[in-house]
Amino acid sequence: MDLGNNEMFLSNDMLHEKQGHNSLIEDNIITSINNSRRGSLVTQDSEFELDDALLTGSDLDYDYEDELDDMIVLPITNAKRKQINEGGVPNLEYECLTTKDIFNRMLERVNHLQPIFSLPLEDIIILMQHYDWNEERLLEKWTDKMDDLLTEIGLIHENGNLTVNERGVALKEDFECGICCEVKSVEVFSLECGHEYCIECYRRYIQGRLHSGNIITCMGCSVALKNEDIDEIMGYESSNKLMYSSIKSFVSKHHRNYKWCPYTDCKCIIHLDDTSSLSEYSRLHYSPFVKCNALHRFCFSCGFEIHAPADCDITNAWIKKARKESENLNWVLSNTKECPKCSVNIEKDGGCNHMVCSSCKYEFCWICEGEWAPHGKSFYQCTLYKNEDGKYNKSSSQEANKLMKKYTFYYRMFNEHEVSAKLDWKLGQTVGIKVKSLQEKIGVSWIEGQFLAESLRTLNEGRTALKWSFAVAFYSDPSHNLTKIFVDNQALLSKAVEDLSELLQIKDPELIMRRKPDFYNKAGYVQNRTNALMECGRDLLCKGICKLTD
Amino acid sequence: MSSKRISKELNDLRKDPITSFSAGPVGDDLFHWQASIMGPPDSPYAGGVFFLSIHFPTDYPFKPPKISFTTKIYHPNINANGNICLDILKDQWSPALTLSKVLLSICSLLTDANPDDPLVPEIAHIYKTDRSKYETTAREWTKKFAV
Repeated sequence: MDLGNNEMFLSNDMLHEKQGHNSLIEDNIITSINNSRRGSLVTQDSEFELDDALLTGSDLDYDYEDELDDMIVLPITNAKRKQINEGGVPNLEYECLTTKDIFNRMLERVNHLQPIFSLPLEDIIILMQHYDWNEERLLEKWTDKMDDLLTEIGLIHENGNLTVNERGVALKEDFECGICCEVKSVEVFSLECGHEYCIECYRRYIQGRLHSGNIITCMGCSVALKNEDIDEIMGYESSNKLMYSSIKSFVSKHHRNYKWCPYTDCKCIIHLDDTSSLSEYSRLHYSPFVKCNALHRFCFSCGFEIHAPADCDITNAWIKKARKESENLNWVLSNTKECPKCSVNIEKDGGCNHMVCSSCKYEFCWICEGEWAPHGKSFYQCTLYKNEDGKYNKSSSQEANKLMKKYTFYYRMFNEHEVSAKLDWKLGQTVGIKVKSLQEKIGVSWIEGQFLAESLRTLNEGRTALKWSFAVAFYSDPSHNLTKIFVDNQALLSKAVEDLSELLQIKDPELIMRRKPDFYNKAGYVQNRTNALMECGRDLLCKGICKLTD
Repeated sequence: MSSKRISKELNDLRKDPITSFSAGPVGDDLFHWQASIMGPPDSPYAGGVFFLSIHFPTDYPFKPPKISFTTKIYHPNINANGNICLDILKDQWSPALTLSKVLLSICSLLTDANPDDPLVPEIAHIYKTDRSKYETTAREWTKKFAV
């Protein structure tokens, strides 16, 4: 239950972010088609963004059928290489791929291997699939024992003495299928092994296995079905589904180099070939943040959303704590009530329902939370509900209480920014409309209107940093001077973020254009403050002022 | 379609009964069977009769039947609930397999346990380290629950 609570806020946030992104991107695409590209006013960065949006348009509405169609029409696209600059650490050279990209690469490898094996391409695909697309392992085994391998994987039928049957579909009269036990005149499929079954049974059989990613064999023995057989039975390009599931399991098995984008429904895979710099990142308390083609940014190490200034360890500890402590918070929520007048939390540990708030002396009824005075005359008019006796054990030490208070404070701050971030994304959905109205009403070009989207992105980055800074603050030594500086930095960023957020609320297009310099100023300021806070947080981590206690 | 196939399997079993086990539907429900396996003579289960409950899924034979022991048995691959750890009942299932093939596999599992892929690690450990202790216990359990 409590776990769910916490996960809820995280995944909801992601969802919102996703929706926000989508709407932005769609706007980008629509408007960029209307406007021919005018590069002069664009900064390097925003041009980059535009490219991404155009590139990934098809990926966002990803659908299996689409994927299959794309596969035939589109040439192999070279995935874009990207870099991020993280100052003191080497740039991460990574690329964003889809299962289709990876499969196409595998096909290239298979083409490359063909002269070595001198087997049909289909057979090499089966071999590669069996060895998890690991070329080296396959070649090693291949040189060892060629024929055994082919039999084992079901590429050669074991019993050489029997007349080799023809592979494929044939029409048979009065055929009794061993699977469904029906006698009828149907199309029958068989491999070289001669095990014949009706095509309907084969279809159901294959259908159930396309998603496993494993090699599909004859129902009666271990002879393998090739992709062309699957397509013959199931229809056009069905084998691609099997290939994609096989690639998916490949990605999961190679999680050191490949990471799925953690955002809901995102199909992007980040491939980091050289992981040697990751240790340097963690040593300096940087996090290897990456961005997928759908513009989702996440940490390659822990697979979580961007969490600077916190590093992966702090993030992990914070999330775990949030899950554990939410039990306590839930206890507060379920066993205490707020005083109807002054909102202080009150726990009822026994006695009658006539409550007197110790803080404001307000007299009220525990059951209905109404004023007590009328209860005096018609006594217990609210006893419809049973009086629940508090089961709370008072032995919990003051120490734990203090810690709990501290945690609750930081958690509330964290949560508040979480909620604000969600509201910001709602705001984000109006930005596209605003840009459009700028175009329509006062003839501002799309490119010129992009400062709005830019500001929103800056705002979001600022909020995320601010949010995670509370996790850092929780684990930091409060008496240290640097912690105090950190807290000051938090306050500055917090103010800057609120100012920018307010600016983004403006609806009147003319006023927006008039205040354009303000947008630049405030967004620039937020950016600077975000960087400063991140650096300051990293400093706390590097100097050991912020560290995990338990 | 499943019922046709299940009826065929039932007819085949009636035509050519197999000595080591018997199986058939419970009442009128063709999808719910009961089976009894004779403890194989060359195993510590010899002399016992073990009952199993069998449920055919609606998409049988594309999905394997669900089989569990209702008689208690001391075996590394069968747990206290009677669940059986057998590859052909899971990912190695093929529609070309039949219930009688599966039951024969279970019989041979009783003779040759597979301690490297155990369902009950404690029994597997004893099986591998102290074979005679395993056999004694298995024999006791057979006497107690299956005779």
